[in-house]
Amino acid sequence: MTHGAGDGLFERVLDAAAGDGAGAELYERRGALLELTEDEEGSTLLESHERGLALRLFKAGRSAFAAAGPERADTLPAEARRRLPRARARRGVRLGAPAPGEVAERRPLSDPPPPDADLARTLLTGFRQALTASGRGAVTVREASVSLGERAERLATTAGRDATWGSRLATLVATVVGRSSAGRFSARVVGAASRPEDLPVARLARHAADRVLLPLNGRPFEATRADILLDPLVAAHLVGRLAPLFFGDEEEVLLAARTREGRDALASPLVSLVDDAAAPGGLVRGVRDGEGTLQGRTRLVDRGMPFGRLTDVAASGRLSRTPSGSAVRMTWSAPPRIGVTNFFVDPLPGVSPLDLLGSVGRGLYAAVLLEKPEVDLSADTFRLVVAGYVVEKGRATERVSEATVSGRLSDFLRGIAGIGDDLKFALGGTGSAGSPTLLVPRWKTG
Amino acid sequence: MGNPADLMRDADDAVKLVSGLLRRGESGEAFRERTRTETWTASESGLLAPALAEESGTAVRIRREGSLLLVARSGAGPEALRDAVREAGRRAGNAPFFKAHRGAAPAPLPAGAERPEEEEGRTAALAAAFARALPDPRGLALSVEVSRVVTERTVVTPRAFLPCGVRTRLVASGTIRRAGSERPFSFQSARPFGEAADALAAALREASRPASGLPPATGPVDVVFSPSAASVFWHEVVGHALEADAGERGSVLSRVKGAAVAPPGLDVVDDPGRSDLPGAYGVDDEGTLGRAVPLLAGGIVTGLLSDRRSGAVDSNGHGRTSSYRRPPRVRMANLVACAGEASLDELLDRCGDGIYVREVASGSADPESGRFVLLVSAADGIRRGRRGAPLAPFALTGEILSALSSVEETWGSEVLPAIGLSVCVKGGDAVPVGGAAAAILVRGLTARAARR
Repeated sequence: MTHGAGDGLFERVLDAAAGDGAGAELYERRGALLELTEDEEGSTLLESHERGLALRLFKAGRSAFAAAGPERADTLPAEARRRLPRARARRGVRLGAPAPGEVAERRPLSDPPPPDADLARTLLTGFRQALTASGRGAVTVREASVSLGERAERLATTAGRDATWGSRLATLVATVVGRSSAGRFSARVVGAASRPEDLPVARLARHAADRVLLPLNGRPFEATRADILLDPLVAAHLVGRLAPLFFGDEEEVLLAARTREGRDALASPLVSLVDDAAAPGGLVRGVRDGEGTLQGRTRLVDRGMPFGRLTDVAASGRLSRTPSGSAVRMTWSAPPRIGVTNFFVDPLPGVSPLDLLGSVGRGLYAAVLLEKPEVDLSADTFRLVVAGYVVEKGRATERVSEATVSGRLSDFLRGIAGIGDDLKFALGGTGSAGSPTLLVPRWKTG
Repeated sequence: MGNPADLMRDADDAVKLVSGLLRRGESGEAFRERTRTETWTASESGLLAPALAEESGTAVRIRREGSLLLVARSGAGPEALRDAVREAGRRAGNAPFFKAHRGAAPAPLPAGAERPEEEEGRTAALAAAFARALPDPRGLALSVEVSRVVTERTVVTPRAFLPCGVRTRLVASGTIRRAGSERPFSFQSARPFGEAADALAAALREASRPASGLPPATGPVDVVFSPSAASVFWHEVVGHALEADAGERGSVLSRVKGAAVAPPGLDVVDDPGRSDLPGAYGVDDEGTLGRAVPLLAGGIVTGLLSDRRSGAVDSNGHGRTSSYRRPPRVRMANLVACAGEASLDELLDRCGDGIYVREVASGSADPESGRFVLLVSAADGIRRGRRGAPLAPFALTGEILSALSSVEETWGSEVLPAIGLSVCVKGGDAVPVGGAAAAILVRGLTARAARR
């Protein structure tokens, strides 16, 4: 259903929610999504528009949430009010205030334009061609899907905040099959970008070819201890799993235990961890978070030492900090929660991955992940199952079909001895996770 | 949730709109869905914050040869349907015919039909369930979200308006941490709320206990599955392998239709008509009557589950979707295996040394290669035909054809519904499913450490 910009629903619901001494926050999202999938049976084109509104009421440390589509939005104030007494009062829970100098925009939302199906077809065709070239005919696509999404958001509060913003996301997901004399191997790969024109189609095709051909054509890695060079897209998935350590005050105890109350480093002095909604190459292009707070760059680990936190309004109150703009609404129908935008290891300018490769005497270049990484922050352990290449005297030599890199996570992070300048991002958590090439000398493998 | 009649109030117009949309060689339907989700966040100290979300949507689908067009819009009323039909017609290159059938303006939706005191009662029951599950939360850190999800659906075909009914399930997910060890927690139940809350309490109690025992030694092992665990075994090993979308080469079972792969006398049927099980429905999400399909009859591969896109065969009513925004896919409903003649003690005795699996938390299968994995959450060792000490969670792996050929020719006499099987996730889409089976003995599966 196409809704004009000025149907007045947003203002009507917010007006009805105000009063009773409770603070109110109303959020609206309008989204358009196009998904084109091609598989062995044919093609599927999905085109959808959505619109939803969500209301939160705050009173004396309690909050209640109600969400509905436009046809039921007028019931939100009554539904939230009815639930508010059932909520438990918690420290820090309050309505966010506008930042000093923040001006209420009072700009109604319009439906985003429908994404371009021809562009989706072009991207799929480009991926197939790039895969044929990268896989030299030995890799085919079983199923590939391009999604192009755009959304517009508005948030207003009875405390005077009223802001609108928008964002886009494009993803390419493919299941590819590699064939060789050793058999068949299939895998699913995912690429994403904040704009369709930035989708790394050729890079994803190379990655997909490696993902299915290395396990077929390589040999298991035999060394039990070696220098480990993690490709950015392998390292990004490991880095992304560290993010919950910095979610508000949720992991205070765990973070303190890992660093002996802040006396020890969390990682090597080379490592700085950052969340940045505007990071170049990041898959999220954020302006405001799910509570309307302006987003920016938050340094979480500075030269190995814990430094900052990702906070929403409630956590910032408990930690006596300014909100970092980390309240994420995964859907309009769910309350915001703390999450990342673009969470990454800061690259070291001037250190190319080839420099790092050249410094390896005998080691493993982990080019692709074969399984989802296992990370247990509580037990301080991790396990990566990878494929890649043997590195000898600074050169990649034979292919490795499978190797396991595992052990104590904090030792691995403290052991990072080299960081490249080639930052890349992968979808992860509530946003994206990124890393440059990482070098960890003398690590155990299996 | 609004009045169930709301989704039907423009039935005649809706049928005309859909029948006018389709051209020769095309099939299609409209699909309406309304979902009401009551959510509670919870910690070790009980329920924290309540939330409500009501969402409704309409999808119009057009199929032509191997292609599917799906247009989805927010709202489940006549306006949303007209808008979706208009856009689908434009994208499919069909004529904008709908103006001729335009009906009267829709009446405003009534207020929610759910009574507030019922929700109060559910909150109290859930709070009590948490108190029972965690009588002493010291040393425990729990972060869980519990949702009661009510979904109502209808399908509009070119000939008829078909209500699919209302389904309710209780879903919980989060993490439980104790003594420096964190474990994920997930739970689903499609049973009535009181029973589901009791089951949730039992699952929370079990998950928050310190992990007992050691995992079994890695390697080949003979396994007796309880009736509940056997349902998950059949679901992964037979059900997924006989869904008609298993890739270009088909699955290891669909490639051998007509072959004897399991013991004689063993029947496995997928039956959407078993209304006592969570996967029941009368009409699937494409408007096809759900039919019982024998997958194994006397140990022989006899059937294949299909939807409208499967192509090679007509749909037998197994096209299901997780949301109006997603295309339907071939999915199981309730997988039911027949009774044998043995008691559980006889099976344990036949096993000798092995493992008795009480519950399987989750599983996965790759129908094309035939590999499958079952993540065992509760099991005991078997020594000389007797159940022994509990084991820590672990994984069982195997290959479908060899596992089926290793099912002992005698199996349990009592068929019971599965406890842990109620939602199946495939390609990111979750649908309610059920199962009922008797205890079985399978030789030569492989035990290995569970991976997080």
